[in-house]
Amino acid sequence: MPSKPYKHSAAWNVSWVFIFIAVGSLFVADIEISTFEPWGELSRFFLAIFSPDWTHYKDIGDAILQTLAFAILGVVFGCVVGFALALVFHWRLVRTICALVRAVHELFWALIFLQIFGLHPLTGLLAIGLPYAATFAKIYAEILEEGDKSALQAVDPKTSVISVFFYARLPDLWVHFKTYTLYRLECALRSSTVLGFVGLPTVGYLLSSAFLEGNYTEVWGLLLLFYLIIATIRYWLRPKLLPFYILVSPFIIANDSEISSENMVRFFTEDIIPTPIRNGEGLVELGQWFNELFLTQALPGIANTLILTQIALVITAILTLLFFPLISSHFFKQTGQTMGHTFLVIVRSTPEYILAYILLQLWGPSMLPAIIALAMHNGAIIGHLIGRYSNEITLRIDTVKGGNRYFYELLPRLYGQFLAFLFYRWEIILRESAILGILGIATLGFYIDSAIQDLRLDKAIILIVITALLNVVVDSISRRLRSRLRLKTAVECS
Amino acid sequence: MKKTIILSTLLILFSLISSTTLVAADTQKTLVFSAIPDQDETRLKQRFSGMADYLSKKLNIPVKYVPVKSYSAVVTAFRNNQVQLAWFGGLSGVQARLRVTDSQAIAQGIEDTQFHSYIIAHHSTGLKKGDDLPKGIAGKTFTFGSKGSTSGRLMPQFYIEKAFNKKTDAIFKRVGFSGNHSRTIALVQTGAYQIGAVNFKVWDKALKDGKVDLEKVSVIWKTPAYPDYQWTIRGDVDASWGEGFSKKVQAALLDLKDEALLSKFPRSGFIKAENSDYQPIVDTAKSIGLID
Amino acid sequence: MIFLKSENVSYQNIKTLHNIELTVKKGEKLALIGHSGSGKSTLLKLIYERYSDNTALVPQDYGLVNHLSVYHNVYMGQLNQNSTWYNIVNLVRPWQKPLERISIILSQLQLEDYLFRPVGQLSGGQKQRVAVARSLFQGGNLLLADEPVSSVDEKQSQVVLRQLCNHFSTVVLAMHDTQLALAFCDRIIGLEKGKIVLDQPSHKLASQDLLALYAE
Repeated sequence: MPSKPYKHSAAWNVSWVFIFIAVGSLFVADIEISTFEPWGELSRFFLAIFSPDWTHYKDIGDAILQTLAFAILGVVFGCVVGFALALVFHWRLVRTICALVRAVHELFWALIFLQIFGLHPLTGLLAIGLPYAATFAKIYAEILEEGDKSALQAVDPKTSVISVFFYARLPDLWVHFKTYTLYRLECALRSSTVLGFVGLPTVGYLLSSAFLEGNYTEVWGLLLLFYLIIATIRYWLRPKLLPFYILVSPFIIANDSEISSENMVRFFTEDIIPTPIRNGEGLVELGQWFNELFLTQALPGIANTLILTQIALVITAILTLLFFPLISSHFFKQTGQTMGHTFLVIVRSTPEYILAYILLQLWGPSMLPAIIALAMHNGAIIGHLIGRYSNEITLRIDTVKGGNRYFYELLPRLYGQFLAFLFYRWEIILRESAILGILGIATLGFYIDSAIQDLRLDKAIILIVITALLNVVVDSISRRLRSRLRLKTAVECS
Repeated sequence: MKKTIILSTLLILFSLISSTTLVAADTQKTLVFSAIPDQDETRLKQRFSGMADYLSKKLNIPVKYVPVKSYSAVVTAFRNNQVQLAWFGGLSGVQARLRVTDSQAIAQGIEDTQFHSYIIAHHSTGLKKGDDLPKGIAGKTFTFGSKGSTSGRLMPQFYIEKAFNKKTDAIFKRVGFSGNHSRTIALVQTGAYQIGAVNFKVWDKALKDGKVDLEKVSVIWKTPAYPDYQWTIRGDVDASWGEGFSKKVQAALLDLKDEALLSKFPRSGFIKAENSDYQPIVDTAKSIGLID
Repeated sequence: MIFLKSENVSYQNIKTLHNIELTVKKGEKLALIGHSGSGKSTLLKLIYERYSDNTALVPQDYGLVNHLSVYHNVYMGQLNQNSTWYNIVNLVRPWQKPLERISIILSQLQLEDYLFRPVGQLSGGQKQRVAVARSLFQGGNLLLADEPVSSVDEKQSQVVLRQLCNHFSTVVLAMHDTQLALAFCDRIIGLEKGKIVLDQPSHKLASQDLLALYAE
């Protein structure tokens, strides 16, 4: 008989740690459905899908153009700046700044820029462009790092750096750059839509207004168009048309509001300076001010953000495991897989912010809508990736079926990749958890939004910085876990 | 190929349209006004563009309305001089005037001198209307309107906290922010929240328009009166549009008799206002810590 | 037991098996020999497709799950004989009964020290023996094994083949080691370019006779 008892893998143990944390969090989380008749409203919402309303087609058309234009320009800005930064990404300072910029969600950037530039198009452009540039910098740098360098070694060492780059490196890497940049454009369409919720003239603006009034037919009119745009992206987004789009976009987003340098200076020298300093009070008052902010807002905000994140992460994991077989050739024939694909595309195209918004309207404000929205969106993304991986596995001809195949043949083979993606999304889920506070759940976003609504930008900025730091911490834990468990991720998951 | 051509032409057309609207108003400086999005956000443009036409005709300059998504964004736009004239609530007006020196409250609705908030309740609570705030609201779920609203937040919060001598967070089981007044009515009516605080003018209008089901939701208390909405104009408009410009705008507002336009606010008419009319709001906001 | 008549198999429009006629009686131990690419694996696959009932398989690439332990990989041989729930619980906590049986099988193959080791950490030869152990645990009337001793040493090859031949009444092995084939099988089938070119009882053949099949 074996002397040693059976021991599970490190990945298994880590998984259970996360599950225990999530279960513990469930006890303290507020996950009640507080609406009196939630299902009536939900069915009213879903019935409206059959009568989508496009009466205000002029407004809708304009909003769609704005959405596209902001997304395209944001990505163009992001990839130009990001590429330049990628070349110097080995500088520690650049890496640190990029990590911090990335750690702040587009919506928070939009809230900040709304204060500086107001309704000027620069607000939306930078809100997308800046965090995207930081992400591009990181991913482009990774692509440059991992790319094949053999062509480089064959080049005469006297050749100039620039020609080396364009002749020896770029041709090989081009495909990676292109794939990733196009993927980010799809993300940018979602970002740009969501920015409407804080006042940019994109689809989100109409969407949130229609929701506030309970015009579900109008909501569906917009949502269906949004899905159509995402689904047809490869038909209208042709490399040949890109210059044209880029040329036209500035005219679409242009409006006649002006930016004054006065406002910018005031923002940095007055608005975000902590009140006690602005009033010339002493260090004691500043300490008190910060203490109160930290204890009454930052701390509960951090706690709720983490609670929501950990629950959402584990439910994302569960949904991923349920979703991936839908597109796996090991479980479904061609038609079944196509249906699975359609389902996952719809779920993951819906920005989690909008999903959470919908559920919040229907069920009232607790963490439940946020958990479900985050888990659905992220579960569909990772489920799609894992499903694709599963299709690369060939099984023995005498393989088993159903549950046995799932648990013995596929899950063990996919589990490492699955955890890698999950940990990669961890930090993203955290960022989104913070953001969902704007919708009324008491995560950091709630306190940030409240501070901005009360026009206390000094507090808002400090809370945003705290959110960013929290992100950086979780990101580094995730990185350590991934390297400890020897998990590799592909860039496509970010 | 065909598709790309059609698409391109469409895009060119659209870009032409948007760029022409861009240059159209360049000859004379445009006065931009905005308003807090206190109800029915879908049709803000329709609601206020008539007002822009009216002002433009009266003042003989181009006037434009820009829709803004939140109370604080109107204050910010006003402060950044992207908006020169705004229809503020009591609190947002105070916040704006604190930040823009020399800005003036120039007109208010006739009803705004004696404004009220209603506390409304879902029928399932069984609460009935009383002269004093019904104590039964404690432990229920409760929604304000916007975070920056006077009638949807500041005043109700002040009176409720005074009645219970506790913070609202401690009184209610859950406190939310619906976003605006019409949403508050809808949320309490469907039972998403049991109790809500709403602007009495919005409630009366919704009742008149048949949007309220009294079987489901009813008023259980009316707050004491306080001053609320007002038109506020920046102090530097005279420098841009000539001496006495703010007086001209004031006169135009006081002159407004068009029922259809007034109903959008909804007010029966506008009367003069001054900054000092809003001292009670300043005091209340300070006492509950909304302004420093 | 096995009865194939005029079988042809094509893969991507190239014929890999021509007009195969093969009858195998119960209790026969058969060796398929020939160059790589002569059609041994294809023939094994064909037999499996026709006679999958109660048949154990040792595929050439083993088909093991690297992240599972040796125990679980061997256990997979009997997944179909237990309920899915029983199998899932077994992943979390090995059941005593299969554990005892598998321990015995592993000790016969000198793998007892690796019971709970993830397969990914084993050497090629060890993996091959795990694949063999799986087929032993599965059991059945017929064994189809594709080069089951290609990665283990001479001495262990003997052990492995003895176990397989003792355990299964009917055995079809694809082999390239002609001596081992002659020693353990009672009938030799020679394949060349997808055709059967030799079919003799072992006792009528010597190692020398088979070399022709491997000549260029």
